[in-house]
Amino acid sequence: MDARQAARNLEVIRTLMERNCQYQLLTARAGLAAGSLAGAGALAFSLLEPENPWQFGTTWALVFVGSLLSATGSIILRGRQRGERVWSRPARAVLLALAPSVLAAMALSVFFFARQEHLWLPGVWMLCYGQGALATSAYAPSPIRWLGSMVLPLGCLTLWLGPAWAVLMMGLVFGLGHMGLGAALLVAERRETTIRLHREVA
Amino acid sequence: MNALKRLVEELDPTLHERGRLAIVSVLAAVDRLTFTELRDALGMTDGNLSVHLQKLEDHDYVAIDKQFVGRRPQTTCRLTKAGQRAFTRYLDHLEAIVQQGRGRSGA
Repeated sequence: MDARQAARNLEVIRTLMERNCQYQLLTARAGLAAGSLAGAGALAFSLLEPENPWQFGTTWALVFVGSLLSATGSIILRGRQRGERVWSRPARAVLLALAPSVLAAMALSVFFFARQEHLWLPGVWMLCYGQGALATSAYAPSPIRWLGSMVLPLGCLTLWLGPAWAVLMMGLVFGLGHMGLGAALLVAERRETTIRLHREVA
Repeated sequence: MNALKRLVEELDPTLHERGRLAIVSVLAAVDRLTFTELRDALGMTDGNLSVHLQKLEDHDYVAIDKQFVGRRPQTTCRLTKAGQRAFTRYLDHLEAIVQQGRGRSGA
């Protein structure tokens, strides 16, 4: 064994360890789709009325469901491409980590809609989303951790700004945020196609 | 050259085998894995994986637990403390070999 082989071995070991503790199936495509849908949802309110709870709830429910379906579809495709099981140990760990935040978001949504205070929900959703993303820290690629870290303070800002800014902040945070996530995952995906030597060996 | 040769000779022969190194690398990243999960993660056959796991177990690097989940037998594998230490030493050796190569090229 020479130094070059040793460096290559180290890289392979690192890749094996990362792939088995990190959830790797989330794709750039899913991030970009979610960002586009959130942006489109925000733009829809140039025609719709955010004060109308039905229009508000339906629009963002469609964005959420659309993003979820897009993510699920691309995860399944990625799993097939890689020959990996979609319902894996890291997948179960991620869902378990996300579950409390998702349940909290749903409960709070019912609460605020019932009180006709739905325009406070974007800030609440961002706080739940940020918590959920950070809860998956142990299993998620770093772009997701970064997104979670940014969405939390932006959720606080959205609450502070108040209902008048709700739709705009949804478009900026979830729209641009997911676009940024998608771009970061795209860079990571391109890099993953070759095993990098992370040390230079002459 | 002597220092490099010595480092290579000091590599743990139990871990310095492609299949067993892959098994230990995967187990080092998780708490434990079932036999099936390990096999699927590494793309090994049942027989191949069994042989390597037996060798690792003989050296007390891996612990294999067999239990029943419902009525189905399940085998789980985990890295022992001795296995963790051996893996860490192996990584240190690889790092030292890389450093030796860097040192020689810089000379």
